[in-house]
Formats: sequence, structure tokens, C-alpha cells
Amino acid sequence: MKNKHLALQPWIGLIARLILGGVLFVAGYLKIDKPDISQMAVRSYEMLPISVANILGLVLPPVEIALGALLILGALTRVVAALGGFTMFIFIIAIAQAWARGLNIDCGCFGGGGSVAAEDTRYLQEILRDLGLVFLAAYLVRYPLTKFSIDKKPRDLKEISEAKGDVE
Amino acid sequence: MSKAKNPAGGKDNFTRNLVIAVVVGVVLIMLVPTLLSKQTDTSAAIPASVSAEDGYGIVFNKELTDVPFIEIYEDLQCPACARFEGIAGNYIEELITTKKAKVAFHTLSFLGGESQIAANAAACSADEGKFLQLHKTLFTNQPSENSGAWTSSYFSTLGLGLGISSPEYDKCVSGNKYMGWVKNVADEGATRNINSTPTIFINGKEIDRETAYSSLAGFMLAIEKA
Repeated sequence: MKNKHLALQPWIGLIARLILGGVLFVAGYLKIDKPDISQMAVRSYEMLPISVANILGLVLPPVEIALGALLILGALTRVVAALGGFTMFIFIIAIAQAWARGLNIDCGCFGGGGSVAAEDTRYLQEILRDLGLVFLAAYLVRYPLTKFSIDKKPRDLKEISEAKGDVE
Repeated sequence: MSKAKNPAGGKDNFTRNLVIAVVVGVVLIMLVPTLLSKQTDTSAAIPASVSAEDGYGIVFNKELTDVPFIEIYEDLQCPACARFEGIAGNYIEELITTKKAKVAFHTLSFLGGESQIAANAAACSADEGKFLQLHKTLFTNQPSENSGAWTSSYFSTLGLGLGISSPEYDKCVSGNKYMGWVKNVADEGATRNINSTPTIFINGKEIDRETAYSSLAGFMLAIEKA
């Protein structure tokens, strides 16, 4: 069982990279040319001072695109996965607090955002989706060596264990 | 992070670092102009009926002080704004012509490209005294979002239809004279925390989402109470 996982692990990692990276990239791409809407989406969570929310609304889309692109390519996998997972974790907190406070907003995850009718909120689905993505990120942090990545990798699996104690 | 020595070749980190540098560089190239364009440009040309104190809105009955002050934040492409105009538009125009309210129109551009073109044209028409007419015409004939219908030549023709004959208007529309102002309106809306369109304030207070947007009676009541 353990060996089976060892053999499959780089492939699972590849899938995790492509899903997490793909979601981040698409989410950023759909928002990048609509800065006004992106700012509105962040403001409507009512967590941050308006001026800070407006800046975050501009910064978030390109950052998502960058994290997504780096994950898809497999560059600096462990660090980027940790950042991506952290981002998703913050999103979960933001959505949960909006839900708990009874705000009626669209998460604005893939464009859109702002106030919506009460029956159009999708808090549970959004949180579950982001939890899944946090799980994928955690997997990549634990097992950052994946198929088809441009990270430097040990030549075979035996070297992984040797590499563990090897500090340059 | 542990690193493996890789004496027998394989990939080194040069490619990876290059990729990281390129991705981060591209992101900065995208981000910096956006951040800069969001600075309010105080030197931007503004229509005669606009004042920075009223949040760059196009203001009617500016001189009145003892009447309700209605501020309307809308996107000319937004269907909900067109619905609201259908419900309360005539009443608001009546308040303006009978001098019973001070009204400021803030043409936001959440929906992007054609909202900006339309907002610019609306400002041009304000200089010709035809803002309310253009405003109504756009909402009653609203095409679907960014369908390519709203171009500067469309607005030139529309101007003729509304009886605007001055060459200034054409120049204003085709030269995007008030585009800087359009961005300032959007930025002011962002600092005012406008999170959906339409958003309407009466004397600085937003009207009730449940009742005052969806029926004329509800809206009139909100004005009455002000």
C-alpha cells in the first residue's frame, strides 16, 4: 500500500498541481480585465477598510494568475502550493464570516461579486470547494516532487530520502 | 526545503528561476499600470454640470438646498438599472423639472468597455443639455452587455436623433474627451463602497433594498420620508 502510494505519488501530485494551479489561474484571468468588479467583490465582504479592500481587489487577480501559472509549470512547487493553500484558507474565513454575519454576497471567486439576492448565495458550495483546494495544496506541500515539473528533482526515488538530510 | 545535489546532470534550477522571474515580471507589468490608473486624476476634463464635491456626479438643481438630494449610482449597461429607470425615471425627471429635488447621476462602469463609452457620451450630452434624454433612450433601448452595439459612431447618430447638432458633441464622443472623468466617477464609487448597481442615496442614506427599488410607490415613500 505504502509502495503503491510512493509510485503513484508524483502522478497524484501532478493532478493536484494542475487542479489547484488551473483554478487559481482561471480565477485570476476572469477578473484581470474587470478591476472595478474585483474591487467591489473584495469590499462586499466587509472585512477590510474600504481603501485597503480596493487595493486588494486590484492586486489579487494578477497574484492568482502568477501562483496558478507557477503551479501549472511546477516551479517552486512547495512554496507556491503553500501560498495558494494559504490564499484559499483566507477565502474560506472570508466566506464563512460573510455567511455567519448574514451578508448576501457572491464570493466573486471567478469574476462577479458584490451583493446578490439572499436565495442566490452559495456559501456552502464555495467553502467545500475551497476546502478541497486547501487539501490539494497540503498534499503538494507534503509531497512537492511531481511529474512534469520544472523543479530540480533527484534522479530517482532513493535520492529523495538521501536528500532529506542534505542541506546546501 | 531540502535540495538534492544532482551531480549527474538532470535539470538545474536555472530554467526554474528564469520561469519564476518571467512570471513575476509579467505580473508586475500588468499590476503597476492598473494601480496607477486608479489614482484620481484631478486634471481630467469634466462636464460643466459636474463638481468634484458631489463625487463627480452629473448634477441637476445644484443650487437648491432645502430639497432632498438624490444620488444615483448606475451602470448604463446594467439591466437592473434599466428596470429602475423604467420604474422611477419619469418621476425623477419630474422632480428635476419642478425643482423638487437635487439629483446627481454617477455613471459607473463596472461592466467595462461599452459602459465607459456610454458614460463618456452621457457626459458629452450633458454639455448639450440633453443628458436626461440620452439617459432615458439608452436604458429603454439597452442592448445586451458589451455586444459591440455601443460605439462612438452609434452615439454620434444618437446625438443627431436627440437634436444635438453641435460639432463639439461629435468631437467629444469620438475623442473620448471625458474618459478621465469616467474613471474618476468609478473611483469615487469605489471609495463610497458602492457594491451593486443601481445604488441610490437620499440625503446621504441608501434607500431600502427590499421596497424602494422595485416599485414607484416605495421610491416615492422614501423621498417623502426624507
